Amino acid sequence: MNEYKLVFTGTTGAGKTTAINAISETATIVTDVANTDPTLAKASTTVGLDFGQINLANGDRVRLFGTPGQTRFDFMWKILVKDAFGLIILIDNSRPAPLEDLETYLNGFSQELQTIPCVIGVGRTETHPSPTLDDFSIKLEHQNLMLPVIPVDVRRAEDVTMLIDILMAQAEADLITA
Amino acid sequence: MNTPDHIRNIAYTECQQLLDNHSGIMAVVIASGDGFDLTSATSRSLDPARIAAMASSISAIGAVVSQEVSLGKSKSVTVNTEDGFVYITHIELAGTHYILNVVAGQSAILAQVIYQCGEIGKRLRSI
Repeated sequence: MNEYKLVFTGTTGAGKTTAINAISETATIVTDVANTDPTLAKASTTVGLDFGQINLANGDRVRLFGTPGQTRFDFMWKILVKDAFGLIILIDNSRPAPLEDLETYLNGFSQELQTIPCVIGVGRTETHPSPTLDDFSIKLEHQNLMLPVIPVDVRRAEDVTMLIDILMAQAEADLITA
Repeated sequence: MNTPDHIRNIAYTECQQLLDNHSGIMAVVIASGDGFDLTSATSRSLDPARIAAMASSISAIGAVVSQEVSLGKSKSVTVNTEDGFVYITHIELAGTHYILNVVAGQSAILAQVIYQCGEIGKRLRSI
């Protein structure tokens, strides 16, 4: 049996905790506390990590870790991404500057992005169509990155599973081209 | 974080007194549960904002560990290091939960810091 470690990161409110909750087959570990930041319209926020697990059909196990979103917790990003198999960056398109948000995480994980596969999941695109998925791709190109950009609703388990499937496919493609 | 100035000032005085009156203490930071520094006193170039965020993460992880192993509510976390320790405990200030964080070198005595933090907690709870 192989074990994989996947990390969900991205903006506060993008749904990292929700995504892990949506698919985890074990009770999730959540380190949410009351939010005191008036700029965030949410009651609680993750300050440590989220953790869940899923088992794949072939018997392999995937451990799912979620990071805090705020940059003041970037020390946790480095801890959690160590030895990760892949990275999923979730962006909330209803925030004021989603492209700048993406840049924050591309910079925060720049070292890891050179070696591990990554998928960008963009949420709330139905209500907030701008920036478009193409805009995100162009942003990635400017950073010399070619990564899949997918619209997602992380409340739906099938959307989260799709992100993981794409990540796995990307990893296999990387292996073939390596 | 909207804490009245007079409460912040009282909290600051407590931090400064702990720093001044005990050998080896390098920083005392009071942080919100979600990692914002409310007030702090430091004797060297330690970033209170950074310490506050780390204390928040460590405290939250301590809480889920104690929950996971059914050992009741987490009261404190101590990080013992080669050259000192970091002590993180929960306090209440004006009815709101905060985290008191002490960074200390080798010359500080952990038991004394734990006792003093308890006393600070009692005083701040009664505001």
